[in-house]
Amino acid sequence: MGYYKYIFRDPHFIEAIINTGIFVAISVTLEFIIAFALALLINKKFKGAGALLSLALIPMALPPVAVGAMWSSAFAQNGWLNSLLYRLGLITADGKIPFLAGTEMQSLMLIILIDAWQVIPFMMVILLAGLQNLPKESIEAGYIFGADKFTVLRKITMPMMKPSIQTALILRIIAALQVWLIIVMIYGYRRIPVLVEEVVYYNEIVLGFYRVALAYSVIVSIIVSIVAIIYLKVSGAFESSEG
Amino acid sequence: MAELELIGLSKRYGKKVWGARDINLKVNDKEFIVFLGPSGCGKTTTLRMIAGLEEVTEGKVLLDGKDITYLPPRFRDVSMVFQSYAVWPHMTVYDNIAFPLRMKKIPKDEIDKIVREVTKLVNIHEYIERYPRQLSGGQRQRVALARAIAVKPKIFLMDEPLSNLDAKLRVRMRTELKAIHHKTEATTIFVTHDQSEAMSMADRIVVMRAGRIEQIGTPDEVYHNSANVFVAGFIGTPPTNFLTVELKREKGKLLLVHPHFKIELSNELALPLNGYNKDKLILGVRPENMKIVKKDDATLSEEVLVVEPQGSHQIIAIEIEGKIIKIVAPSFPRYSSGETIHISFDLKRLMLFDIETEKRLNPFKDLGLDSEDFKKQE
Repeated sequence: MGYYKYIFRDPHFIEAIINTGIFVAISVTLEFIIAFALALLINKKFKGAGALLSLALIPMALPPVAVGAMWSSAFAQNGWLNSLLYRLGLITADGKIPFLAGTEMQSLMLIILIDAWQVIPFMMVILLAGLQNLPKESIEAGYIFGADKFTVLRKITMPMMKPSIQTALILRIIAALQVWLIIVMIYGYRRIPVLVEEVVYYNEIVLGFYRVALAYSVIVSIIVSIVAIIYLKVSGAFESSEG
Repeated sequence: MAELELIGLSKRYGKKVWGARDINLKVNDKEFIVFLGPSGCGKTTTLRMIAGLEEVTEGKVLLDGKDITYLPPRFRDVSMVFQSYAVWPHMTVYDNIAFPLRMKKIPKDEIDKIVREVTKLVNIHEYIERYPRQLSGGQRQRVALARAIAVKPKIFLMDEPLSNLDAKLRVRMRTELKAIHHKTEATTIFVTHDQSEAMSMADRIVVMRAGRIEQIGTPDEVYHNSANVFVAGFIGTPPTNFLTVELKREKGKLLLVHPHFKIELSNELALPLNGYNKDKLILGVRPENMKIVKKDDATLSEEVLVVEPQGSHQIIAIEIEGKIIKIVAPSFPRYSSGETIHISFDLKRLMLFDIETEKRLNPFKDLGLDSEDFKKQE
């Protein structure tokens, strides 16, 4: 019990909770909007939609470690992103952008962007599958019976896609709650504390504190379980009479 | 008042594949038109072009004289019943029917009135608060129908609406649809591949094949006055029997000669063949236009291959030169396989087709509906 008291008194814990919360809220919203837009676009079946789909899937195939390493080398003061901008003549040799030197909030936003880059494809695939499973005639009926594109999207397509939208959102929220590796790869420990990062920190970095890590894991597990139960509840897994 | 006109309407996929080609049709106000044809004949494509769901490659769609070819569906004043019903699963029956009315910005109490009216008309007023998943296929079909009626469209489009129902319900819905049409008097286009559905519902049938119109006519016309071999074969069950015969002239008379029989043509039948200079033609005889008679009156005597009893009548199959020929006969007397029967043809109802173009050679304009023959049957 003493470990829990220790955690709750630790300012890093509060910070980690807040950071995780911000991360989940912003990243999931942002990712959902972009992923849905992309799914709608690819579902149009225009020429090159297939190519765009395979291209969009590449980031999903990369492990988070590689993603972290890749972007950390990109954003370093002498990283490849600065070199690229310099070559393109967009910045001068003295004007290299210190990507990683921002405030904690700015850093968090940067992490959100990198994370979005990696997980949007995952969400898009779930949403695209949902879109492609929609009966075509239901959508066409919308057009016949007086709705324009936007109304059909809002009143027919999205409500009918509710199951896949729920799945995509909740799976993403659960995954986002557990973000840590990318942050550590780019910023190292304790610059932007988040919940799971603290688990690893106490377990691996500071010796003799593994019980604190354990307590942290329990807290994270509880939060994730609550979200998972909410998911099962809204998706109707508890009610067999539905369907 | 709603008149629809299709002028040279065509749909091409890619460079060479035609979904529909040069469709010309005028649909009159209050008419019930059926597009009939095998799958892939372009009937649904044509319907979807009228609805605005399919882009038109060439040609025009005119509704009451107004060009609507490139108008989005929602501005066309048409409504549609889809094959899969396409009722929206996340809306109640009420909302399904009210949605199109809300889109039209009709006041709330008016919507309420219309919904109650149409649900009564199609007999689903008891299920108004239910969701589609709580309804049977037939009830969903009615919801789709009510939704389509509620908007009071100029044109009603129906894309094989009965094909997902079981056989019994399908036949009942035919009657109901026709009754509803009498009440609403909405101009209707109905797509089906089922010829008996077409025959029983249509004012006029448009028979299609491979993207083209083969014949337009009333059920009687397409049945008795089939324009070509395809139409004669597609309409009617069992289908028309076709036999290739030789055309011979003997003592000033025209003869149709087949290895198994010989038919002397009356002057009436011989007349349209005046300009025909090929020595063969295709003879078409509907199964009910062959009669089993005494040996002396027979044109043809054959062994019975199989008998298919149907209750109200029986279908007798014989084989001539490897071709199965079917005859519709009264239920009694019963015949059995192997028995020899004697057959005569109803000469007035013979259909003669060009051996190459397969076009009808002897169109009889007068269907003879008040001739002695028909009166006797009444």
